[in-house]
Amino acid sequence: MNFLEALLVGLDEARRHLGQTVLSLLGLVLGTGSIVTVLALFGGQTKQTEAFIIEQGGFGAIIVYDREESLQPTAMELASRRLTYRDAAYLKERATMLRGVAPGYFGRHDYRYGRVDFEGDVIGTTPDYAMINAIFTMTGRYISDLDVQRQARVMVLGWAYADSLFEGRADRAVGKIVNLGGKNYTVVGVMEREEFYWAPWSGNALAYRNRRAYIPITTAFSQYTGENDRLDFLTLKAITPTGGPAAEAQVRQMMLSMHGVEDFDIRPLGQRSADDAQFFMMFNIIFLIVGIISLFAGGVVIANILLASVAERVREFGTRMALGASGLQVFVQVIAQVSVIAVFGGLLGLGLGTALTGAVAHFMSQPAAVTGAMAAVALGTSLSVGAVAGFYPAFRAARMSPVEALRYG
Amino acid sequence: MALLEARDITKIYRLGRVDVPALRGVDLDVEQGEYMAIMGPSGSGKSTLMHILGCLDSATDGSYRLGGTDVGTLRGRELAKVRNQKVGFVFQTFNLMPRLTVEENVALPLQYRGGYTRRERRQRARTLLERLGMSHRVGHRPEELSGGERQRVAIARALVGEPAILLVDEPTGNLDSKSGAEVLETFREVHAAGDTIVLVTHDPNVAEEANRIVHIADGRVAA
Repeated sequence: MNFLEALLVGLDEARRHLGQTVLSLLGLVLGTGSIVTVLALFGGQTKQTEAFIIEQGGFGAIIVYDREESLQPTAMELASRRLTYRDAAYLKERATMLRGVAPGYFGRHDYRYGRVDFEGDVIGTTPDYAMINAIFTMTGRYISDLDVQRQARVMVLGWAYADSLFEGRADRAVGKIVNLGGKNYTVVGVMEREEFYWAPWSGNALAYRNRRAYIPITTAFSQYTGENDRLDFLTLKAITPTGGPAAEAQVRQMMLSMHGVEDFDIRPLGQRSADDAQFFMMFNIIFLIVGIISLFAGGVVIANILLASVAERVREFGTRMALGASGLQVFVQVIAQVSVIAVFGGLLGLGLGTALTGAVAHFMSQPAAVTGAMAAVALGTSLSVGAVAGFYPAFRAARMSPVEALRYG
Repeated sequence: MALLEARDITKIYRLGRVDVPALRGVDLDVEQGEYMAIMGPSGSGKSTLMHILGCLDSATDGSYRLGGTDVGTLRGRELAKVRNQKVGFVFQTFNLMPRLTVEENVALPLQYRGGYTRRERRQRARTLLERLGMSHRVGHRPEELSGGERQRVAIARALVGEPAILLVDEPTGNLDSKSGAEVLETFREVHAAGDTIVLVTHDPNVAEEANRIVHIADGRVAA
């Protein structure tokens, strides 16, 4: 008896016990369906995260912060000047793994133009900042090297600020004088509107980038810090998108030699906000749990049905053995029966998962899709559950002595 | 040399700590083309003997040769092969597969043997069913058949693999007298065609059909 024939017998058995077959199918279908959906959503989110990282400056963009001061700082820590403009200059000159270095000042100041007046964020930086963060001007230009050299009183407005200050006419901002913290600045450019949405219900994840203005770092020092060259952050970009870790290592080495102590943190730019990530993780875990429970239930039902069906057919197996079936052939017959259920369950589950993924992708605007690999995983899981559930009943059937089997019942 | 040679066959069942002897040294020869009946009351060991002769079970001790092969030492898979190729079983309760058609039931042993196409298996099954006067029933399920017809299907199934020996267990036990007579008539025809038959029964009327009767009592050949 070859496997195909065993499969046909299996199909017949499955049809004969339709109610039980449907029950075990349900378990397998729900299980594989959930697993397919989770995988597809995971895949979609990975794509989303990638898009978000690229939007924020791409892979290889790095940010350095001062590490929080320890409660009882050591002499080395006290001696360190922390993150300064000199670190930036040193890295820019010597770091071979970097193609961009932008020191950053961060402050909050009063913006005033005409009757509009509000407090908002100010970033003091250098021309590299635009390249590192993949931001572009909508009108005018970004900060230039000359601006930095001359400590020029120029500013580049984020889109939202330009929109507010000029009451919906951001395009007219260039050339105007805006008062920032009591000092007048000439607007030389307005940035493009930055946007990224994880899902329709979540807001613009890049909104903060529209609510700020950029000024030369040197201007920030002279106007607001009293010539102190301490930095609030330092953004960097590796020479290649995959060069991030290598660049981080080199930067760590060089900064350690400057500071004498590791009082800074280096991490890749563009990590997803923790809230968003948590929400999706919860969502995925729920689906995954449903999947595992369903598969488990399906497996238990299958094992049960097979055991019952084996017990019911002891004499049949005895007869088959008397006609010349070997233990292996009986084993194959029972396994074939479960295979039929498992394959059908897996395929139906795959269909359900694909439909569910489509629905989720549609209603939640997620770029989720079922790939061939996911389909393979789903079918593989279903078959494994079937095999595990079917093994014991099949083994029992195969191990029966023909005489005892024939006498049974 | 006899077709079937059993020497000093002993079978002991172990029930817990007690050894229960079912066969205590049986010698038996069956010649090619013989029609033999094994008779004995229930508990005499005749069923055990038939199981051993049919390679469904192995003896605790003794030697057994079937068609020149020493099968006493075989186990598991080899024994299954011997059952498939050399033995044809006919059971008291027919033991047909309820979901298979008559034709599929008859072809089953060939399926386990391998090496036959579906078409060849079908052809051989049909030929046999025709010979036993069952060709009008090939596509039916066992449940649609009378008892006598079922037993004739079972005989066809036992013969399809051209076994060396036909082992028959109480063939008329589940049949009314008319069907029983028909089935016995079928065995007569099969024997006339040259097949070797060993029939186990406690019914003297059935045993009389055979050329030779061997009585079993208390695990021994009585006469």
